[in-house]
Amino acid sequence: MTSVVPEEGVPEEEDGLPVPPTPAYARRQNIVAALIPLAIGVITGIMSWSLGVGTLSNPGPGLWPLAVSVAMVVTAAVLVLRSGPTGEEETFTREALIVVVAAVSLVGYALLFERIGFEIPTVALLVLWLKGLGREGWRMTVIISLGTTAVLYLLFVTGLGVSLPHILPF
Amino acid sequence: MDFFSPVIAGFGVVFQPENLFYCLLGVTLGMLVGVLPGLGPAATIAILLPVTYNIEPTAAIIMLAGIFYGAQYGGTITSVLLRLPGEASSVVTAIDGHEMARQGRAGSALGIAAIGSFIGGTVAVIALTFVAPLVAGFALDFGPAEYTALALLGILLVSTLGTGSTTKSILMATVGLLLATIGQDPLAGTSRLTFGSDQLLDGIDFVIVAMGLFGVGEILYSLESLRGKSAPAPSVGSVYPSRQDLGESKGAITRGSLVGFILGILPGGGATMSSMVAYAVEKKAAKHPERFGKGAIQGVAGPETANNAAATSSFIPLLTLGIPANATMAIMFGALLLQGITPGPLLVQEKPDLFWGVVNSMYVGNILLLAMSLPLIGIFVKILRIRAAILAPLTILITMIGVYTVRMNVFDMFLMVGLGIVGYLMKKVGFEPGPLVLAFVLGSLLESSFRRSMRLFDGQLTGFFGQPIAATLLVAILLIIVVPPLSRSLRKQRRKVAA
Repeated sequence: MTSVVPEEGVPEEEDGLPVPPTPAYARRQNIVAALIPLAIGVITGIMSWSLGVGTLSNPGPGLWPLAVSVAMVVTAAVLVLRSGPTGEEETFTREALIVVVAAVSLVGYALLFERIGFEIPTVALLVLWLKGLGREGWRMTVIISLGTTAVLYLLFVTGLGVSLPHILPF
Repeated sequence: MDFFSPVIAGFGVVFQPENLFYCLLGVTLGMLVGVLPGLGPAATIAILLPVTYNIEPTAAIIMLAGIFYGAQYGGTITSVLLRLPGEASSVVTAIDGHEMARQGRAGSALGIAAIGSFIGGTVAVIALTFVAPLVAGFALDFGPAEYTALALLGILLVSTLGTGSTTKSILMATVGLLLATIGQDPLAGTSRLTFGSDQLLDGIDFVIVAMGLFGVGEILYSLESLRGKSAPAPSVGSVYPSRQDLGESKGAITRGSLVGFILGILPGGGATMSSMVAYAVEKKAAKHPERFGKGAIQGVAGPETANNAAATSSFIPLLTLGIPANATMAIMFGALLLQGITPGPLLVQEKPDLFWGVVNSMYVGNILLLAMSLPLIGIFVKILRIRAAILAPLTILITMIGVYTVRMNVFDMFLMVGLGIVGYLMKKVGFEPGPLVLAFVLGSLLESSFRRSMRLFDGQLTGFFGQPIAATLLVAILLIIVVPPLSRSLRKQRRKVAA
């Protein structure tokens, strides 16, 4: 999390705070960040064109998405040209690996959710995030993981009657 | 008493015990999630959207109002105690608020913020009660041309008044517009940009975009600093401001209400701008301006009153024109749509019970916020002491299961995680999600009114300038695009001449 108003006189900790990138790094990052929407805009532009554009007085389904794609490509191109550092960029450090692990775990959670019920994936996700990512103690991890899963079960399945996929029959 | 009868009837509905309970629940949940550092009101409301989904409409709207005010106040708490404003509108609160906290007066700061928010919010709701029907009446004549111009203006204002780079914001707005075109063509029914997926045929649900970009994106982002030590929250002390505190803040609260209400109506950064203007006004009006930045209570009372008044009056463009003025309003717009309420000029006339239900729930939300925040601040401070490593997984689980319960569809989970990753990357490279979400919400309105106008004008783009209101709005758009770069280059030239 970023402290928007930095404390004066207190030396800022190195870890936990976003690292300002070097100008060259920021420029490269800005170019990549603008090239991606540019490429997407070109692809969607072609797809929209093939949908049929029609005329201005009788627009086809592709006209509006094409117009938006063109606007997107133009703004992205401007950003590619003006790729100088703005001070808003942040370096991808080794901490970003945590985010990768977290994102993969969420995809895994969604994959297993309907297949084997929500209980096991929920406990597993909590253990991974608490112990693996957060480095909490085992006692805390076990209590919170099992406790939260039980509360969620009671809240959604028993309480609200929402049909979450579950294996425990109550 | 024609005008007031639906207003009063609306109160009867709101004050039913069951509805009051939902409002209370909303305020509590809003504050609970809103105090999580890094989660602003937009993210908080997005995360809690599915909770309101399974409740009947009236109760759901009342609960939403509660969540709305609770989330706003949650940001104030972190701002004062940790110097971590949840969103731009409470940045200035952090200056004097946190200074007060360091002097052991966190309680007074939070207390006066709650009282100021209550007064500002209530004044704004009362004013809204009178202004909104007028604006809606005016907007009844709006045709597709006016709506095209209005939606464009709304998107542009949010993009240019935001905190980041304008070009980046405009790019984000185009991404939002593009995402909104996914699904069936509104007129011809052709499937567009679905990449052959049946799941995308109905388009992407707004809830998923909001929860993904704001909720999951913010949480993923916060993981990078997960292992860092969380700052210990200072002790709070009494939350009931002394008579002296109240006396010193009286003027600030009055001025803040006015500034907030007026600036909040304008599209764009209403709440943010109003809190900054209010701070500046207080500094000007103060007998001891040197105390600002060193824990002046007016520096908390003014901006906090103003941002809550502005947050409330920004409901006016939403409820009367159907145009959300900022990202938080965009999410409220989506939330109301979920309940089958389409904000717009017809709402007051055709569904007065719903319209006044929304307005009256804001009165109650404000009252409950005051009633809840003062006695419960201690509990919320305890929540702040819980480590982020524990809060992050709990919040993400609520979000994951929440998005599933909206349509009982696991595909939505994947989509939300995907958008969450996009949101995280955007944050890393300095793109803001606000304009994207706003443009996404306005996308279908913009497209359908543009296409209808084009038919009306027989394909002539110049037709827009034949309509006086639409033409005025378009001129405003041109000015927004042309003036800032022009004044920038003029300033540069002047500097060159001076040098």
